[in-house]
Amino acid sequence: MRQREATHRIGVLIRHNTLMRLRDPGQMISYVVLPMVIMLMFKPLYEKALGTGTIQVVTGPLVMFSVFTLAIVGNSILVEREWRTWDRLRTSSASAFELLLGKTVPVFVILLVQQSVLLVYGCLVIGLPFPKSIGYVALAVVVWGLTLLAIGAALATVMRSHAELGMVSDLGAIVLSSIGGALVPVSLMPEWAQFLAHFSPGYWALRMLQSAVVGDSAGIVLPTAVLLAIALVAGLFAIRRIARGWGRSDLL
Amino acid sequence: MLEAVDLTKRYGQVQALDGFSLTVDAGEIVGLVGHNGAGKTTFIEMAASLARPDGGRVTIGGEEPSRVRHRIGIAPQHIALYRSVDVREHLALFGGLAGMRGAVLRTAIDELVAALRLTEFVGRRAGLLSGGQQRRTQAACALIHRPSVLLLDEPTAGADPETREALLDVVKQRAGEGAAIIYTTHYLPELAELQATIAVARRGRVIARGTSAELLASLPGEVSVTVDGREIRASTTDPGGTLIDLLQRNDRGVTAVELRKPSLDDLYRSLAVTDAAT
Repeated sequence: MRQREATHRIGVLIRHNTLMRLRDPGQMISYVVLPMVIMLMFKPLYEKALGTGTIQVVTGPLVMFSVFTLAIVGNSILVEREWRTWDRLRTSSASAFELLLGKTVPVFVILLVQQSVLLVYGCLVIGLPFPKSIGYVALAVVVWGLTLLAIGAALATVMRSHAELGMVSDLGAIVLSSIGGALVPVSLMPEWAQFLAHFSPGYWALRMLQSAVVGDSAGIVLPTAVLLAIALVAGLFAIRRIARGWGRSDLL
Repeated sequence: MLEAVDLTKRYGQVQALDGFSLTVDAGEIVGLVGHNGAGKTTFIEMAASLARPDGGRVTIGGEEPSRVRHRIGIAPQHIALYRSVDVREHLALFGGLAGMRGAVLRTAIDELVAALRLTEFVGRRAGLLSGGQQRRTQAACALIHRPSVLLLDEPTAGADPETREALLDVVKQRAGEGAAIIYTTHYLPELAELQATIAVARRGRVIARGTSAELLASLPGEVSVTVDGREIRASTTDPGGTLIDLLQRNDRGVTAVELRKPSLDDLYRSLAVTDAAT
């Protein structure tokens, strides 16, 4: 009975949060369309300059623009603080876990859809070889989605305004993904940058996605482990902040 | 139904609650009044399980509020609505979180929007509603699941007369059905209309509690006698005796006599005087 009630509440929250996301689709659309345009325009350049085929052309912008979606994750949480609705939800019968699940599932689906659409577009339009293992690609997409979700949630609990969140997610997207090899392969970077790349989640995401696309099972293990560790740390931080420290909207 | 015993809470240097005690029975409306910073909202947050007391305890039907959230309905002081979500969707959300579904939920929404005169705006997003309509929507979210404890924190702040009337009607109805209601406000005439028991909060504790008649009995009224065009005024807790005394001393040339009983506004002003003096 209790479980049935909890499932009902989670369903209500997912429906509510999906509705909110669908009513504010601007960011979501631009983060899907922009990388498509970039892939198309930069394909000849990458192919001639790098000779790495279409993998870099597709996975680079995919990683960069999926980092941009941190803003969607963050905004979905920040807006609850701004509108004081989170405190209102906390007085309902829903537990903190149910509230978080209801909040994050729709955003997680957005992250999965964005990456999936870009990969399909890469295969059909850009000429990315069809992945040897759909399972590896699905794993990579899910792990990267989880990582972004956790980092975005953690950021939203410490940011004090949409402008601050926008600045961090924009800067983060450019810096983390470019140093991670989204624009130029890490092997072509100066030595110091190659060293710094290891501290960028974008670097591990690229390695994981590229390994998944070519079906390199050995190459997918380490990046997946690193990203899951990052997701765990950021996720625990966010949960702790959301469940405790960030109870009062007037902290904004 | 709701019992708070010796609650204490400190935020940094501010002692928000300092021995706050209050009980509210089923079917009773308690009007919690006091100036800003008296501890009203902190107490409401504790009763709604949004904040934990440093000391003391608050219970609803003998249980901690966090264990019986389904029995609580709260309309916070600040508007807390999703701007991109319409009135019906708000009620579906909060009704759904309370376990309501299907025809039961739809009927409850229709009845409540009619009672709060929101039918015309039920499909309008909260961000496009007027202040009064937002207040009524917020109250509706607190009422949708028919809670046995209602916590209404200044529900009519800045509201138009239509909003006030609609809200007071519904609050009276819910009390009649057995809900225990705490109603904070700065507009004391509302409490008279609700026939509420009044609890006066000051500096984090309840310093007086009673019906408006009981509390007003302790306040001085005013007697005014006009003698040969000259007005003599006296503030007194015994208006009859004072009037007789004034008339005996001025037995000729009295042209007007006025007796003014203390009002609820006087009660509120007396709190301000007490606060300013301490």
